[in-house]
Amino acid sequence: MILSEDKTMSEHNHHEHHVSSAGQLWAIGIALTLLTILTVGLSYVEIPAPFDVVVALTVAFGKAFLVCAFFMNLYWDTKFNTMLLIGAFAFFILMVAVTLLDTLYRNDVVPSF
Amino acid sequence: MSNHSQAHPAHLQHHFVDSDQQFDAAKMGMWVFIVNEILFFGGLFCAYIVFRAWHPDLFTQAATELNTVWGAVNTLVLIGSSLTVAMAIRSAQKNQIKGLQINLLITIALACVFLLIKYFEYSHKLHIGIWPGAELYTYEGIDHPLAHVFFSIYYVMTGIHAIHIIVGIGLMIWIYIRAKKNEFGSEYYTPVEMVGLYWHLVDVIWIFLFPLLYLIE
Repeated sequence: MILSEDKTMSEHNHHEHHVSSAGQLWAIGIALTLLTILTVGLSYVEIPAPFDVVVALTVAFGKAFLVCAFFMNLYWDTKFNTMLLIGAFAFFILMVAVTLLDTLYRNDVVPSF
Repeated sequence: MSNHSQAHPAHLQHHFVDSDQQFDAAKMGMWVFIVNEILFFGGLFCAYIVFRAWHPDLFTQAATELNTVWGAVNTLVLIGSSLTVAMAIRSAQKNQIKGLQINLLITIALACVFLLIKYFEYSHKLHIGIWPGAELYTYEGIDHPLAHVFFSIYYVMTGIHAIHIIVGIGLMIWIYIRAKKNEFGSEYYTPVEMVGLYWHLVDVIWIFLFPLLYLIE
């Protein structure tokens, strides 16, 4: 696989920054385009209530993964930067969870909201 | 041990051992900024989740007013601009300064196309009375008493995203001017890489905004 070859090369020579090939970058761009077409197509399919959001978000996370790993170079980068990204997402989940513990269990929703 | 008898490259700040350390420090700083951006938009996504959990019917009804085709076109425009910004960094890494400049110009052009489409979307909505806030909202095409709440969320989320696009255009013009002055090359391209990271982040946020706002009817 092209990607793993590149990785071992960059590990051998620590001070060389990773340079993606033009083909690699185009492949990621085309994959993102296809996933966009897929998610638009799926929005016209009748999927029952909670699963339509699950499907749309799964595709969105797939696209976000491609951008973060191969456009933002996290795949070749120090793991610390990946940890920062995962940490940000973990704290976002925490923020949403704690907020929902309030808003989902109110007896009276604030009027006019 | 750093070798002080060796001449330092012009870009190297005196408190770094070498260019690699400076590059890695800058990149980590940029990722910490991205953490801040994720949590900043996270607050807005949190509001979206709270209101959608309260009024699921509102979101599916009101989203029909958003044009899926233009949303999808804008998604592809941003993906294209992410590709060209990645190509710009690759050009800098390979000392192809002309390629760096051309890719930056294409990225700026695509960012402007995004804003133009957003302008047409906004002006159409404002024209038919879809304004943010209960006082200003006059559109009667959506049979829901809280229709204005959805569009307040829509305007704030896409508006702050659009401000990020405008900032990104400014940053890329700055990088373009510096590239024209021949300041970047394979030895030093840190600002190009950092603006690239910022631009990809703006793309990632839109990757989530698009299905959550446009694709839920």
